[in-house]
Amino acid sequence: MTLIWGGLALGAVYAMVAVGYNIVYIASRTFNFAHAQLMMMGAFIAYSSLVSWDLPWVLALLLAGVVVGAIAAVEERLAIRPVRDTHNILVTTLGAATIMDGAAQLIWGSQPLRVPFVAGEDAISVLGGRVRPVELTLIGVAILLVLVLVLISRRSLIGLALLGMAEDREAAQLRGVNVRATAFGAFVVAGVLAGLLGVFVGPKTFAVATLGAALALKGFVALAIGGFGSMPGTLVGGLLVGLAEAYAARYLGGEYANLTVFVILIAVLLIRPAGLFVRAKERVV
Amino acid sequence: MVNRMSADRLRSLPLWTVPLALGVLVVFLPRFVSDFSVIRQVQLALILALLVSGLNLSLGYAGELALGQTAMYAGGAYAAGLLSRHGHTEILLQLLVAVAAALVIGVVSGVPGLRLGSWSLAMTSFFLVFLVGDVLAIFNSETGGRNGLSGIASPTLFGGMLAPNDYFALIAVVTLLWFVVMRNIVVSRHGNAFLVLKQSPVLAASMGISVFRMKLMAYALGAVPAGLAGVLFANLDLYVSPDQFTFSTATTILAASILGGSASVYGAVVGAFILQFGLNQSSDYQRYSLLVTGVFLLIGGVLLTGGLAGLARDLSRRFVLRPAQTSAADGSAEIRIPPVPGRVLRVEGVSKAFGGNRALSDVDLLAHPGRITALIGPNGSGKTTLLNMVCGFYRTDSGAIRLDDRELQRLGPDRVARAGITRTFQTPNIPAGITVLEAVTAGRFTAHRATVLESALRLPRYRRLRREDVAEAERVLEAVGISNLRDSRADSLPLGQRRLLEVARGLIRNPAVLLLDEVASGLDEHEVERLAAVIRGVRDAGGTVLLVEHNFQLVLALADEIVALARGQVMAHGTPAEIENNPRVLSEYLGIDPDEQADGAAVLADLVTEPGGDR
Repeated sequence: MTLIWGGLALGAVYAMVAVGYNIVYIASRTFNFAHAQLMMMGAFIAYSSLVSWDLPWVLALLLAGVVVGAIAAVEERLAIRPVRDTHNILVTTLGAATIMDGAAQLIWGSQPLRVPFVAGEDAISVLGGRVRPVELTLIGVAILLVLVLVLISRRSLIGLALLGMAEDREAAQLRGVNVRATAFGAFVVAGVLAGLLGVFVGPKTFAVATLGAALALKGFVALAIGGFGSMPGTLVGGLLVGLAEAYAARYLGGEYANLTVFVILIAVLLIRPAGLFVRAKERVV
Repeated sequence: MVNRMSADRLRSLPLWTVPLALGVLVVFLPRFVSDFSVIRQVQLALILALLVSGLNLSLGYAGELALGQTAMYAGGAYAAGLLSRHGHTEILLQLLVAVAAALVIGVVSGVPGLRLGSWSLAMTSFFLVFLVGDVLAIFNSETGGRNGLSGIASPTLFGGMLAPNDYFALIAVVTLLWFVVMRNIVVSRHGNAFLVLKQSPVLAASMGISVFRMKLMAYALGAVPAGLAGVLFANLDLYVSPDQFTFSTATTILAASILGGSASVYGAVVGAFILQFGLNQSSDYQRYSLLVTGVFLLIGGVLLTGGLAGLARDLSRRFVLRPAQTSAADGSAEIRIPPVPGRVLRVEGVSKAFGGNRALSDVDLLAHPGRITALIGPNGSGKTTLLNMVCGFYRTDSGAIRLDDRELQRLGPDRVARAGITRTFQTPNIPAGITVLEAVTAGRFTAHRATVLESALRLPRYRRLRREDVAEAERVLEAVGISNLRDSRADSLPLGQRRLLEVARGLIRNPAVLLLDEVASGLDEHEVERLAAVIRGVRDAGGTVLLVEHNFQLVLALADEIVALARGQVMAHGTPAEIENNPRVLSEYLGIDPDEQADGAAVLADLVTEPGGDR
């Protein structure tokens, strides 16, 4: 059970990354390579606030949300808005990701930094397994996040506008949706979320400059399993990936963890390319 | 005088002689430069150039971002290192084995990612890089795991040891040879097909090109230089470790590609040298390398579409080369269409529903050789759906589509196209940056195949096919009357001529059926007349023509048989005279209620004489 808790917590982190991909994808049909890096920045800011500056936890959360949201806004303006050929967005957002990796390395060095968690480090027994408070919190936050987002997208006007945009940008525009502003807003919201979540993720994964790349890949696998655009899918996909990784590391050895995830990704792409939760659409000329 | 003559002679040399001469010069560089650090930078830059050129094949030519080069590079390097440790120091053997190893990595990782393309491929190939360290750790005993593989013996060539200068020459020669091969692939029928693919996968498929196979080929071909680079690198330092094959390697390759211009051959060299030299000069490189690479990617992606090579091309187009000749088509050119082997197209009881929306129900259509069959109907009547179904882009729910006796409804679009169905597009679909002649020859790519190897080495079969391509293209351009435009840029032609070009591109495939999608839309009167004459010519040459058209007047004037669709069903079919007087057609298609208008035909005549009234 201890193993399951660990896997689920890791999976929750991947699901959070996938949720970020999804928000941007739904709003602007683009893929932000750098989303995991935004989360990484959140973790680093949490470290600086809590350890270096000794700020209260709530303030650290606030700071991470605001700063990372600002970084996301800048990224949208520099790496997405001015790109004419949408194919290039993959390249420019990868560029943004690399810049953040480089900046993190420059500012915080390349050693993993331990980010403290507000509820402490003492593991507790739940359902026969040992679990750290941060792990329980991560699982809860991921589930809550997906629930809230599903509710927003079904019930609120902005959610419906986003779904409408995902379906047909032009039609949404004709209905009075300010497509550009909404897309920008969604990008920044995704950024703020990434910053906030980074504060929770850091204590589990450590703040380290290579965190972004690892999270980006695993988050993508979660997205591929669940299906692009599906919020519940990201949760299931993320948890699956986390569990698979934990089990592979435990029973096959640490060097097999990533390989196992890769095999799952390949299998999903070959067998169900649209993901488990999205119906395949017929090609349109 | 003498000066001018030699200048003229210089200008008449083919463009590829310049890079070739530069390449040969690099081979002998150590004789002029003795600074060790410069030599080493050049060696590393050449290796990087190999990697970048591999990426260019998939990113620039097949249009897919794949970052797996680093993994293939690692595969090549470790293959060489392990061979060497087992006593096989012969560099040619190592190159061969390493290329094979890299190819395996390329194909295995490319197949799943390429099925979805774009992000999926980018991510799976990126993941591959992530796995390099893990895989090496699993085979710890052989590869040395995270500590790296040391104890690689000095390479030999034909059994003889290589001095440092010889090894430098070897790197330069291998790089040079690869670039010759790469250039030959890019400037070939395959390169042409890549451009078609890049323009639009739909276009490629409807010309019979299998999109997946083409992309896989580009991605896998990219493995070849990566494998070569691996061997050259392993034998340079006689040590390899997982730290040399990381994300930052992958992003450096990508940055060099973007900077130099992904859709170019020599841009790879320029980009690689700039990154290798430019960055390594600053002492703080290690600290800032990621930042700088990221900035390069960002700026390159936003501003430099086409990279430095694209800039150079734009400049040379503006100042050096003569502007493309775009004189108006000679309207009086005679139209002589050579025989077209038309076949019978039968659509029998075809139905299609999208979700709950019945787009087509029980549609029949018959198109004979030597006749022009027109498909008309108001917007949303199912014309386009039927067209896409015939072309294999949609699956039928029920019913059959036959070409003579061959069933087509289960085939994908590229196979339908290879069976003989050829189409034009409502908005002409023509690859950017190639001449009219090249655009037309692309139509022959699948029917008359040469292998990549034959193209790369310019073997006799390739040369013969190429000659035939040009002769055939000249023939069909002549046939539709635009042979005077053969060397003009295809994508800069006016609309009417682009439509004729599409017809020519269809004719070069000796089509069993020629499908013309809204071929008259947006054309002026003269252009329509000219096009009508070409279409009649195709019919008289024995072709099966299926016209999907909005222009009612043109249809009445041109068609031998008309099928009118409404709400997904065949409402009427018959000769133009029958259709013209069919009350249902009048009410459905033209919105005229026959009960209110005693003389519907007169009103119809009014309507259709209004130029472009419908659109």
